[in-house]
Order: sequence, then C-alpha cells, then structure tokens
Amino acid sequence: MTRVNPELAKELEKFGAKSATVCFNCGNCTAVCPLSNNSTPFPRRIIRYLQLGLEERLLGRMEPWLCYYCGECSQTCPRQADPGELMMATRRYLTTRYDWTGLSKRLYTSKVWEVFCVGILFFATLAVIYLFHGPIVTDHTKLETFAPADIVHPTGYVFGAVLAFFLLSNVYRMHKFIMRSGERVNAPLSLYFSELGTLAVHFATQAKLRLCTNKSFWIKHWLLMSGYTAAFILVNVDLVTRWSLTDSPPPAWHPAKILWTYATIAMLYATTVAIIGRLRKREPIHKYSHSTDWMFLILLWFTVFTGLLVRIFMQFDLPLPTYYTFAVHLALAVPLLGLEVPFTKWSHLAYRPFALYFERVRERALQLQQPPQEEEA
Amino acid sequence: MTERTKIGVYVCHCGGNISDYVDVEKVVDSVKDLPNVAVARHFVFMCSEAGQQLIKDDIKNLGLDGVVVASCSPHLHEKTFRDAAKAAGLNPYLLEHVCIREHSSWVHSDNREGATRKATWIVKTAIAKISLARELQPIRLDVEREAIVIGGGIAGLRCAIDLARAGSTVHLIESSPFLGGRVPQIYKLYPSGKSGCEIVEELIDEIKRYPNIKIYTNAEILSAGGAIGDFKVTVKVNPRYVGKVSDDVIAKCPVEVPDEFNYGLTKRKAIYKREHSYPDIPVIDMDACTKCGECNPDFDQQPQTIELKGSLIVLATGFKPYEPEEGEFGYKVHDGVITLPVFERLLALSDGKLEYNGKEVRDIAFIYCVGSRNEEHEYCSRYCCVATLNASLGALEKFDGLRAYHIYRDIRAYGKYETYYEEAGKKKMLFIKYDPEEPPVVEKSGNKLIVRVKDLLTAGEELEVPVDLVVLSVGMLPEMSEVFTMLRVPFSRDGFLQEVHPKLRPVETAIGGVLLAGACQGPKDTVEATASASAAVAKADTYLVKGYAELEPFIAEIDPEKCDGCEECVGECPTSAISIKDGKAVVNEALCKGCGACGGVCPTKAINLRGYYYDQLEKMIDSVGGD
Ligand SMILES: Cc1cc2nc3c(=O)[nH]c(=O)nc-3n(C[C@H](O)[C@H](O)[C@H](O)COP(=O)(O)OP(=O)(O)OC[C@H]3O[C@@H](n4cnc5c(N)ncnc54)[C@H](O)[C@@H]3O)c2cc1C
Ligand code: SF4
Ligand code: SF4
Repeated sequence: MTRVNPELAKELEKFGAKSATVCFNCGNCTAVCPLSNNSTPFPRRIIRYLQLGLEERLLGRMEPWLCYYCGECSQTCPRQADPGELMMATRRYLTTRYDWTGLSKRLYTSKVWEVFCVGILFFATLAVIYLFHGPIVTDHTKLETFAPADIVHPTGYVFGAVLAFFLLSNVYRMHKFIMRSGERVNAPLSLYFSELGTLAVHFATQAKLRLCTNKSFWIKHWLLMSGYTAAFILVNVDLVTRWSLTDSPPPAWHPAKILWTYATIAMLYATTVAIIGRLRKREPIHKYSHSTDWMFLILLWFTVFTGLLVRIFMQFDLPLPTYYTFAVHLALAVPLLGLEVPFTKWSHLAYRPFALYFERVRERALQLQQPPQEEEA
Repeated sequence: MTERTKIGVYVCHCGGNISDYVDVEKVVDSVKDLPNVAVARHFVFMCSEAGQQLIKDDIKNLGLDGVVVASCSPHLHEKTFRDAAKAAGLNPYLLEHVCIREHSSWVHSDNREGATRKATWIVKTAIAKISLARELQPIRLDVEREAIVIGGGIAGLRCAIDLARAGSTVHLIESSPFLGGRVPQIYKLYPSGKSGCEIVEELIDEIKRYPNIKIYTNAEILSAGGAIGDFKVTVKVNPRYVGKVSDDVIAKCPVEVPDEFNYGLTKRKAIYKREHSYPDIPVIDMDACTKCGECNPDFDQQPQTIELKGSLIVLATGFKPYEPEEGEFGYKVHDGVITLPVFERLLALSDGKLEYNGKEVRDIAFIYCVGSRNEEHEYCSRYCCVATLNASLGALEKFDGLRAYHIYRDIRAYGKYETYYEEAGKKKMLFIKYDPEEPPVVEKSGNKLIVRVKDLLTAGEELEVPVDLVVLSVGMLPEMSEVFTMLRVPFSRDGFLQEVHPKLRPVETAIGGVLLAGACQGPKDTVEATASASAAVAKADTYLVKGYAELEPFIAEIDPEKCDGCEECVGECPTSAISIKDGKAVVNEALCKGCGACGGVCPTKAINLRGYYYDQLEKMIDSVGGD
C-alpha cells in the first residue's frame, strides 16, 4: 500500500512540474519518445508517479536520466502537459534528493539562496586573489608572476578533490535509491566491472541523445560537452606542463593552443545558441527556464568569455586588463564549478552515464537472478 | 365473394439482386396464364419512376382490379407501390407487395432453381390473396387539441409549454406537491452553470403565461386508458390542507422533520413550501402535523377526483437516483459516505466552508459508476461523469483548499463536456482508474476515510487515499408508476420505457398516441431531456394540428351474425380493445393493434382480421398445394 501524496506533488511544482495533473495518461508521449523502450518506458509512467506523489517510486527510477529532452513528447501531448518539462523537473528534484548536504534543495527552491551562494563564492574568490596575488608587473604581461602557479595549482587540486567528493557521494546515494527500489537485486561486484564500458561509451559519445529525431540537439550538446572536457583536460595537463599560466604563452599552432581555441569556440557557440533559444522559447526544450538554468548558462558563458579575453589581452600584451580579467574569470569559474557540478544542473554529467550504467548492472543482475520479465508500457 | 380476375403481376430484378439468383422470366411464365391474372411482367427496377409508371398505365389501360408486386421487403417499398396504385385510381389495399429478395434470392443464392420455385410460390399465394381482397379504408380518428402530460419535471414543463404554444389545451399532472422534478436539487447545472432552481423558475414563469395549461399537483392517477384521440385519465388531487399563507405563519409550525428535498441535511416544518417553485401555496405533511392549528389550516379539505381527457398522452415521469446497498463502498456504514445528489444539496446549502456532519471537509473522493455498468444495471447512466466533474469544479470554486480525487472506470465526458475533464486536471484534481473486477474499498481510520484502490495507470499500484468525504456517483433508475401498466407501455431491457425504434421513431411508444419525454425513457441529462420533450411535442402536433389521425385498416372485424357473445375474445385481447355490447363483441378501432389473438380463440370463427380474411388464407394455402 502506498499513500497518495499530493503534498509532494505540490513541492514538485517548485522544481517546474506544474502541469502534471493536466496529463490524462494517454501514453502518446511514451509512444513517440525515441529514447523510451519496453523495459524502461517513459515519460508517462514517471508523470503518473509525479501526479500521485509516489516518492519511493520516483527515487528508484533512473528513467529521468535517460531522457535528453528532445521535446518530441511535448509536441505530441494532446493535453499540452509538457511531458518533457515534467521529466526535466523530475531531474531537478532527484538532484536535490541525491544530495545529502541539503544545499542543492536550497539552490533549486530559493532564488535568494542561489544568488547569495554565487555572490559569496564570487566575492570570496576575488578577496582571496586580492590577498594572495603575486607582484603586479605593469610594463609587460606577466600572468605567472601575478598568479603564481605554485599557489593556483594546489588550490585547484584541493578544490577539484572537494567537488569530486561531493559529486561521487551523491552518485553513491543515487545508486542506493535505484538498487533498493522494486525488486531487490544483488549485483555481484564483477558486473560493476564488466559494465564499466557502458559508462565510458555513454559519457564520451552521448549516444542516447543521437536517437532524438532532431539531430542538432545532439550536435550542440556534444560540442558543449567535448568543449568542456577538452578544457578540463587542458587545465589538468597544464598543472604538469605549465604552458597557460606562463609569462611567455606558446605560439598559436601549438596543439594545446588549438585545442583551447576549439574548446572556447565550441562552448561559446553552444551556450550562446542555448541562451538565444531560451529567450525565443521556440523548441520545447527551451520553452521553460528554471532560475538555475539561467544561472548555469550565464556563469558558463561569462567564464568562457573572460577566459577568451584573458588570452586576447595576453596576446596584445596588456598587463592590467589581463590580470583583472583573469581574476574575474576565476571568480566566475569557482561558483560555476563549485555549485553546478555537485549540487545543481551540471551534476547530470555524472548522473546520466551512471544511470545507464546502474540500469545495465541491474538488468544483468536480474537476468542472472531469474528469467526475464515483461513490463507494462 | 366474387373473385378478382384482372390482376397485374410485377416481378422486379432489383438490379441483379433478385434476377441473378431467381429466374424472373420463369416466375412470370408460370403465373401469367393463371385464371385471375390479366398481365404479368418483369422489370429491372420496379420502384423506379418507370417501374411505377408501368403499373399505373396497366391499371388505367387494362382496368386492373388487383396488383401483386414481387420485389424487396415491404418495409422498404410497400408504401411506394400503394401510393402508385392509389394515384392510378385503385384502392391501395388491393395491392399486395411480397418479398422475393430477402426471402428468396439473397437466402438461396446457391440454388437458382430452388430460389425460383420459392419465388413462384410466394407470387402465387399473393395472387390468391389479392383475388379475394376487399376494398379497405384507413381508420380515421378525430383528434382534438387537448393533451395530457404526466410528470412535472423539466421534461414535462418543456412539453406543456411547447404544446400550449401551438394552441393545445394541456393537462399537466404532477404527483408531488410542487413542479420541477429533480432539477431544482442540483447546485449548478452543466452546461449553463445556472442553479437548478433558476432554470426551473424560468420554465415556471413561462408556464404561468399560458391559461391553456391546467396544472394538477399533489395528484395521484387512479386510472388511465383509451386510445389516440380518446384517452381518459382519472386523477385524485390530494388536499394541501391550507391556503396561501405568509412565511411568518409557516414559521409558527412547532413540528420539525428532516427535509427530503435536502436529503435530511436540513429540517422543515410540517407545513412547507418550495422556493422558486409552483404553486406558491404551502402544503401540510399530515404524517408530521400535530393538528395544533397554528398555521390557519383547513383540515376539512377533501381530495378531488377529476376526469381528464386528451387526444394524446406524453409520459415524462423521470428517473430516480440509484440508492446504494448498505455497505456498498461503506455507504451507511461509515459516516461521510454520501451520494452525488446529497453532495449537490450539501454544496448548495454550505457557506464559507464545506462541512458534513459538523466536520470540515478538505479532501473528497468521488467514486464513479456506482449502480451503473454492472450486472444488475448494465447501462451507462450518461449524466454522472459530467455531473460529478461539474460538481467537483463547483466545489473547488466555492470553497478554498479543497482537494478532489476522481476514482473512475472511464471518464465519459462526451462532446463539449471534455472541457470539464480538462479543467479538472488543470485544477490539480487527481484521477485514479479502477478495475471493476477489483473495485475500491472504503474504510475508516481515525477521523479519516481511506479509499483503497488499485490504480490501473501505474500497473496496479495499491493506493491509499485519505479523505474526509466519499461521494458516490450513482446512476439513474427508472421511476416506476402504475400508469405504465394502465397504458400497457412496453419497457426496455433496462427497465426504462421503450420507444418504437431508437432511430426511426424515437419518441413514440408501441401504444399509439402515448409519447415519451425525458429521463423516463433512459438516462438523460437536462439537455437531452428537454430535447426529447420538444421532439415529443413535434410528434404530438403532427396529430393535434392536423385534427385527425389515420391508422391502417388491418384490425379485427366481428361478424355479428356468428358472434354468440361468449366473451372468450375479451380476455385474450392484450390491448383491451374488445368489449361486449348488447350481447355481441365490438372492437374499439383505435385500440385494436390487429394482432389476431382474438380470432384464434373465437369458437364460432366470428372474428376475421381485415386484409387477412379466412377465405383469403384458405385460398393462399390451396394455391401452392400439390405443387
Ligand atoms: C446529482 C445529479 C446531478 C445532475 N446534474 C445535472 C447537470 O448538472 N446538468 C444536467 O443537464 N443534468 C443533470 N442531472 C440530470 C437531470 O437531473 C435530469 O436530466 C432531469 O432531472 C430529467 O428531467 P425529467 O423531467 O425527465 O425527470 P425528473 O426531473 O425526474 O422529473 C420527473 C417528474 O415526474 C414526476 N412523476 C413521476 N412519476 C409520476 C407519476 N406517476 N405521476 C405524476 N408525476 C410523476 C416526478 O415527481 C417529477 O416531478 C443531474 C442529475 C443528478 C441526479
Ligand atoms: S502525451 Fe501528454 S497526456 Fe498523454 S500521457 Fe504523455 S503527458 Fe500525459
Ligand atoms: S456516465 Fe460515467 S459514471 Fe456514469 S455510468 Fe457512465 S461511465 Fe459511469
């Protein structure tokens, strides 16, 4: 016996699930969804859980992470229930439930908290830079002197480790919810290893998103994703090779430099297109914007843009603009990474591939336990 | 009786429907030389203009005294051919239309020879029959502009107004002390959103404008009978025991009893009135009255028996809501389980906040299809889905903070009422679909009611819905009345009154002159009830305005020479059309349906059925004997 919980349904409205009760469960959305399949049908069933406020069921499903919001369901829904947006809202809700600190929920449900946290991190970063920066050389651009690598890099390591800790602990909770729900499964450890490939492949290719009828989503998303993966790798490589935080930047044909340029253009293009899309509200995916969506896009865009400015100023050898812009760049990157990666929107970069991975593990474990079962659509 | 000797026989090909399987030429050949036959022909389409003209020309040129047409079913074209005969100057009942398509070619398409033989027999019997046919005349009945409407609900009111508007005198008989039926009990009616009282008030205002509408309330029907043009209804009008008195006087009554109009949610005095209704005179409920005399009563008033006559009767006796069994979804077992009609009253009477039995209501579960679509009542009651959606929307609009759950089988919010369903979703109401095999269960837990239901939309998730009030959407049952038996109106399988044909004759009953209006015919909402009422009036006016009715002549005919007054036939007649006068049986032409039951029992063979006289039948049998 499960008690219907309209209070939960009400709470979910804060995450953007405003139209759940409009759905009359016809199932058209599930039928048209190019990503849904017989063993993991969505979005209708997830919407049904939203309507009834079935918390346990929602927590245990990984389907929301299999949805990439191509929006075909929203275009087909005869009730204009916006199933795509309901799935998006469910992802926001799940993100707050995976997070054990409670910060995620505050960021999603209160704009004051969101702006406050971003502000604190922004100004704190500026304050740290103000207190700890190296000598300011004005006759020549000497970024390494201004921001000594032996301070910046270790700080970066510690920061990254903290973020990874939060994110992975949330992934662990997600794993618990999924494995505990419905039929109990005891997946042998070996399965977790043998299915690692799923994780890697989906992370790298976003293959699922390619199933959307509109291929441009996949291309844009892949551009964005490959852009910041490249940026991420370069930052880390840089910790070893030290070519970016340097007083004498490498020439333009340097492979690292070319990759930087690619990452910058890819991210700038994808975020700009997304911002324009959200302003125009033409495609379903851009029709509704939660405050956290805007915050993510704005932080990302300005981080990338200031990064680009730093390169340009360096190229033209303008010392003061370089230093100031670099400070702002870091002050933007810290809240972007610090808040978005473990607590809000960007966490999907882990949840999505892990959902598929856990799903595969669960499925295989079930197969091992008993003959396969039919599921309803 | 001299035989007819100039009979024309016409065999139709029906395109190829007949001639592909029946050798029409052979049929013609085998009858053309019979002694009574003057001419025999076959033609590709007898019903066409050319085919009809062929018959007409032969009647005129050859002086035919009888015609046989062998083609499709008489249901289709008998009237066509009779009209053609009449136009050519022949008595239309001297034309016999027989069927060799449904009865021969279509059913024996595998056997051309057999089909041809059968068609020949059919044609020969028809020739035999027509050779002894008499010239018959349709029965003509005078119809005066006076009609009786039984039932003063929305359908009866609509009928009375429409009939009166066309100039007829109307006798409107209502069994309860006030007009209006069940509509005034509805809080807000879909689709208008007006209250039931308002709607009925508008009709009553109109009724008052027609002096040719005679209203009998508090009236009991003692007897009803007769036939089209001549119905008689005896009513006993029960006394109200009081004249028109002011509200202050009513307030003086010391007795208080549960008010049935509000299903006992409120109390009324022994003397009471209905607001917005008619007549504006109170009535004393003698079961409750202590005869204290405070309200200026007149206990000497006596019931009045009145004889009414009318050319037609419209039945508009309405429906009654299904009363759930004790324990059905917790009804009468748990406090807070009520039916939709009670909920309508609760909505209308509550102000500020919704309370039932002194307890505030926040969560409501509506359970659909109670008393409909099951083994006992197979039909869908039509009104309840929309009425329940409508009532829930009305409740949410009137009271803040309500939450509603719709526990349904299928939402049948048909036509434009889809918007009510959609609106309910927008208002955040929840819909839970149950399987009739595993219906919801209502339990009590603390001060809440718990509805346990298996939700089909989550593949059978067992849900618990905690609520304060459970409202059962009960179906419609027919309101029974002895009038139905007095008039011998047939019932449908569902127990409602039955029309002759749902598509072709939707408001007539098998009893000529008795018409149906409103929910007595089957579940109807007010839109459908008033539409059927106006339709019944349109049908009624085809007689009332014309001033007479014509009936087919095929009824029983008594030979007074042979009749010895044994009365065997009187008891046999299902429509009570035969009576004995001066020692002989006589047939009421308006009542007789021509079923022939009387003829079968008459020991002296004094009863013939017109158009099927004994000599005709005998000759028909002889005509195919030995073949
Ligand atoms: C809870 C509920 C909510 C509803 N909501 C709506 C709505 O929102 N919109 C809508 O369109 N419809 C609604 N309906 C349906 C509506 O009530 C019916 O369509 C309507 O009442 C049918 O009218 P009627 O005149 O045929 O029958 P009734 O209203 O039943 O009237 C029949 C009348 O005949 C009288 N009578 C019966 N037998 C005799 C007799 N032997 N002699 C003399 N008089 C007799 C009765 O006393 C009564 O006055 C609702 C019904 C219910 C139960
Ligand atoms: S298409 Fe729309 S109404 Fe149908 S199930 Fe999906 S969300 Fe619900
Ligand atoms: S109208 Fe709706 S509630 Fe009423 S019987 Fe039909 S399906 Fe059931």
